Amino acid sequence: MSRTRRSLVPYALLAPGMLWLAIFFAIPLYYMAEISLKEGTLETGYQLTWHFQTYVDAIKNYDSQLMRSFQYAGLATLISLAIAFPLAYAIAFRGGRYKTALLLMVILPFFTTYLVRTLSWQTILDDSGLVVDALKAVGLLADDGRLLATTNAVVAGITYNFLPFMILPVYAALERIDPRMLEAAYDLYAKRRDVITRVVVPAAAPGIVAGVLLTFIPAAGDFVNAELLGTPQQSMIGTVIQSRYLEITDYPTAAALSFILMLIILVLVLVYARFVGTESLTGAEEAR
Amino acid sequence: MNEFERRFDRMIREELTRRRLLRRGALGALSVSAIAYLAACGDDELSSGEDESEAKAIAKGEISKTLTFANWPLYIDIDDKTKERPTLEKFKAKYGTTVDYVEEVNDNTEFFGKVRQEYEQGKSGGRDIHCVTDWMCARMQRLGFVQRFDKAEMPNSTKNIEDAVASPDFDPKREYSMPWQSGQVGLVYRSDLTGGDLSSVNDLFDPKFKGKVTFLSEMRDSVGSVLLSDGITPEEASKDQVLEAIERIEKASKDGQIRRFTGNDYTKDILKGDSEALLGWSGDAIQLTADNPDIRFVQPEEGFMVFTDSMQIPVGAPHAFTAQKMIDFVYDPEIQAAITAYVNYVPPVKGTKEVLVEQDPEIANNELIFPDLANAHNFKTFSPEDERDIDEAFQRAIGA
Repeated sequence: MSRTRRSLVPYALLAPGMLWLAIFFAIPLYYMAEISLKEGTLETGYQLTWHFQTYVDAIKNYDSQLMRSFQYAGLATLISLAIAFPLAYAIAFRGGRYKTALLLMVILPFFTTYLVRTLSWQTILDDSGLVVDALKAVGLLADDGRLLATTNAVVAGITYNFLPFMILPVYAALERIDPRMLEAAYDLYAKRRDVITRVVVPAAAPGIVAGVLLTFIPAAGDFVNAELLGTPQQSMIGTVIQSRYLEITDYPTAAALSFILMLIILVLVLVYARFVGTESLTGAEEAR
Repeated sequence: MNEFERRFDRMIREELTRRRLLRRGALGALSVSAIAYLAACGDDELSSGEDESEAKAIAKGEISKTLTFANWPLYIDIDDKTKERPTLEKFKAKYGTTVDYVEEVNDNTEFFGKVRQEYEQGKSGGRDIHCVTDWMCARMQRLGFVQRFDKAEMPNSTKNIEDAVASPDFDPKREYSMPWQSGQVGLVYRSDLTGGDLSSVNDLFDPKFKGKVTFLSEMRDSVGSVLLSDGITPEEASKDQVLEAIERIEKASKDGQIRRFTGNDYTKDILKGDSEALLGWSGDAIQLTADNPDIRFVQPEEGFMVFTDSMQIPVGAPHAFTAQKMIDFVYDPEIQAAITAYVNYVPPVKGTKEVLVEQDPEIANNELIFPDLANAHNFKTFSPEDERDIDEAFQRAIGA
């Protein structure tokens, strides 16, 4: 009796999580798959016809938005990493007693909603705003140039909005590094650059991998930045899905595009994991 | 109320009138109703699309104790102190009916997705009146989702409806829909930045405004205005002419002439000077011109588009006879005047201006609320297939 009970314990512990996944992930996914294979209009209803052509048409019609989404997401991820790594390093090793305060500043923007933060960038970047004036004064921007409603604004918006997702995991990884390890490296006559590239970066790898995934994946599906900071020439795949769903009410194409986006991300993540090694996803083997 | 209080009061209200809710884009998407999604996911059979031309008019009956009215948010007068809606209180005083007023229409398509399955089965979900934009009224009517009025029971509506909205192509005698409010689409510009006045939608294509022009993401408003500027009457336009107008818009967008396509958010852009000349709605213009006297709203000389939101009685409405009374009730100019004074849209009821001349001359003399409707145009109702092609072409033009 007690043995059976004991053997059931792991399942009981798993149950809430599995239930959550079933209700909020598996079932919606099933419905989405089903509707992507239907044909019809909202007016006449949708019939399941196993219409795989929707997928082909979706890729053919929206290839430029798909490409653009991954370009912007990739660019934003790289910039985020370039900003996040030095920042996280500084907080972890030089933060001292201000560590908590500095970290708080990183997550403070999250206290207001995503939309409001993005809308405030409209004000910061607007044509008669301080930033534009300053850039024009130093000649970095042509006199009739603008920041808002450009590719730069969209990429900057995405970078800004997802930056904390990069900083926090990188910081968490750096924080775990034993400072004595760095001392040991210096004692062995390692140059500063070597310490960074051969000790710090490998030890922080799991954090970097996590940060890249956490930034890249939502960024690729984002449409708010393109919508609010861009023009139709910056529209991303999220914009298309939103419009197919809400404006045209072409649910099958919207669902198909969502699946395509998901599949491409999945493939990219697998390739990435293969490239950087799965152990860095699960733990810092090289660091030990 | 002194001038300051009035301004303040209007500022607070205007900030939230329904066209100010982002019709499209970020906020719209986040507010999408899960019900609409699930409704679309169910297994559906083709609706028969039965011919409703023979539909019997609403039968005479008793006045009911309650009535359910589904409308857009902030689209009726409210007493800010008591939170009561005076128009509905007046209806109760006259007929003894308590109106359950539900602000559940945020978006035409979303609302349609939400009610389609119920309406298809002849159930109204308890609604007695809903209010949607005319193109959606046409769709509801085409699908047999709404009841035919007994116009003999509606003396006010028959007598007082404004000519400009009295006979749309989908419902020439207004037997299935009665306008609630209308609004104009016009040219909005910053006279201090444009260095001259604008008079035509063609001016928006002038290279000197490159990157400083925005269009509306509402297809009918933008495309209709461009059709007019090409000398084409929107009511008679062919599908090819509409697609050509969309191409013209798309080209201007690709060339960088058009900065972006907006919902109500254009108000922010023009106040800051990010845009200088654009298509906008009269409802917003009242507040904009108050905020910045350099902002002008003009009707294009070639004619202008109006949009109209209309009331309909869905099939299976539990209190159809009373609903019909309610619709007729707001066609009393005295009643309508109170609504107009509050929401600042264009009233579809003749005689409203005359009532307001005495009560509130400032509103009565406002050309945004009481425009010359001689040049007003409506968008043509296309077949469902053509409509879909047009919608699709427009969405592609605006980058989605």
